[in-house]
Amino acid sequence: MRGPLWFAFTEGSRAALDSIRAHGFRSFLTALGIIIGVAAVIAMVSIIQGLSVLIDQEFAGLGSNSVTVQPFTTLESALQGRNARLTEDDYELIRYRVDGIESITPMMPIQAAVNYQALSTTAQVIGTTHSYQTVGQAFVTKGRFLSDSDVETRRNIAVIGIEVQKDLSLPADPVGEYINVNNEWLKIVGLLEEKGSFFGQGQDNQVLVPFTTMARLNGNRWRPNIQIQLTVANINEIETVTQTIRRLLRVSHDLDEDEEDDFGFQTADQLQDAIGSILNTVTIVMGGIVSISLLVGGIGIMNIMLVSVTERTREIGICKAIGAKRHHILLQFLLEALVLCLIGGAVGLAFGYGIAAVATALIPDFPGAHTPLWAVGLALGFSGAIGVIFGILPAAKAANLDPISSLRYE
Amino acid sequence: MALIELNKISRHYQMGQQLIRAIDEVDLEIERNEYVMFIGSSGSGKSTVMNIVGCLDTPTSGTYHLNGNNVGGLDENALADIRNHEIGFIFQTFNLLPRATALKNVMQPLIYRGLRYSERRAAAEAVLERVGLADRADHLPNELSGGQRQRVAIARALVTRPSILLADEPTGNLDSQTTVEILGLFDELHADGQTIVVVTHEPDVAAHGTRTIRLKDGRIESDRRNERRSLVH
Repeated sequence: MRGPLWFAFTEGSRAALDSIRAHGFRSFLTALGIIIGVAAVIAMVSIIQGLSVLIDQEFAGLGSNSVTVQPFTTLESALQGRNARLTEDDYELIRYRVDGIESITPMMPIQAAVNYQALSTTAQVIGTTHSYQTVGQAFVTKGRFLSDSDVETRRNIAVIGIEVQKDLSLPADPVGEYINVNNEWLKIVGLLEEKGSFFGQGQDNQVLVPFTTMARLNGNRWRPNIQIQLTVANINEIETVTQTIRRLLRVSHDLDEDEEDDFGFQTADQLQDAIGSILNTVTIVMGGIVSISLLVGGIGIMNIMLVSVTERTREIGICKAIGAKRHHILLQFLLEALVLCLIGGAVGLAFGYGIAAVATALIPDFPGAHTPLWAVGLALGFSGAIGVIFGILPAAKAANLDPISSLRYE
Repeated sequence: MALIELNKISRHYQMGQQLIRAIDEVDLEIERNEYVMFIGSSGSGKSTVMNIVGCLDTPTSGTYHLNGNNVGGLDENALADIRNHEIGFIFQTFNLLPRATALKNVMQPLIYRGLRYSERRAAAEAVLERVGLADRADHLPNELSGGQRQRVAIARALVTRPSILLADEPTGNLDSQTTVEILGLFDELHADGQTIVVVTHEPDVAAHGTRTIRLKDGRIESDRRNERRSLVH
């Protein structure tokens, strides 16, 4: 036999469900606050977490074994009018002196106007080498990619992204057409496959040209400022590789021991972590704000439960006269609030999931809502807690009623 | 040993500056299988006596022994247990749970005794049969006539096999025909050995008892055996 408390619990639940069913519409209205609150929390969390999943996928496309070395100007240097620079020499240094690099490419990106016939668009024109194909995970669907000989002979050619092709109304197969960048005519030799946009930085909005050609487009500066992008052969060695590069560059840049690096590393992981933590903060803050509606819902439950206790004063008196103890009455009302909240929570969960699914379906290129289990647990747990917290007062009021005066209550 | 033994029981209320003596030093013994009628005008204290005998109210002073056990000083939960096991209440206004069917109303007291659903149902069905309402078990109180409602209430009082049936103006809301039926049922229960205590102000009803106690101003004015009634059966 199970204990008397278990018995009181099951009987109380039975009575609670009977009562909720008997007041169907009122029960629904009472739980509405919880339904809306939970739905809002779940929808919000699902959409933001869906965004997070999307970002993770984007990063997977970026290649998590890739590292970008960029010049980094410290505030002190900037005040002295010295800008940090990375040069082709640095690129050669890393390329020949560092082990564990799978592929490496210099990059010289500029924003420039690209013209074709009468049309013009702004694109990211990047001077690079054939290694960019591996480093940037950029592959052509039409034509060919940049080759070593393109770089050596400074050919005036370009590989373009799909967006550039669309913006300039180029033919579906644009190979052989000429575009104009900074008054140089570039022959299109390849079209990149579509990659989707990444934080507004359209990878499809790129024009890739040979690194050496880029120097000319850029005004033929002596030793232009560049970025170096590389991938490591073994992802576990990413730390070793960056440390080696750091040592080499410090020596080559003549940095004293007390001076800060005038360059920096950016790995996909770092960026992903940073964005991930921002999104988590947004989730928590938004969740907190939306949780206020759950609180309001809880107060609604308490209000109705208090009315219900008053309304059922006579019933409580009858139950006490025929032998109900305090805990019977307490449990009955507490369970009624709890069950009401949990049902509200479950309905809200379904609604929230539906809202998130519809909302994400309406956003183009969004992969779909993602409802994490912790959010489901939290929403139900929170509803239950609200049921107990806001149910205890009315339940105690009911349990403390005096049987004689409740029996006389009209 | 008497079933009910009241010893100098008083119940006083403080109402503003005034002390109300609802009952004052009442001594009373009721034996098993007595059929006691409390009569008296309103304010005479008969309802207060009922509430104290029914363990709904506790006396200001005096001792109350039920089945030889001193009820005084018991806490609220212990009193609830006594009400559940020893007392069967019947009220003037029936006091059924409005959203529960006749059957569920009768099953209700057994919940507090910790009986399982199947046991409760079997016991309740048997008692409803006894009061002649087996065919109305699934009806809600508002689908029943006054007499039927009071039968459900009697079934609910009987289902726990109480030592005492306590009825407060049980026919006060019934027409004369139904009153006769309900009193007939009481007579049968009494004949089966049930102890019954009824509060009433109607002499016709009081005539059914084997003993009539008249209260006035919180004291017992007269206490008579009514042998004629006993001889009828």
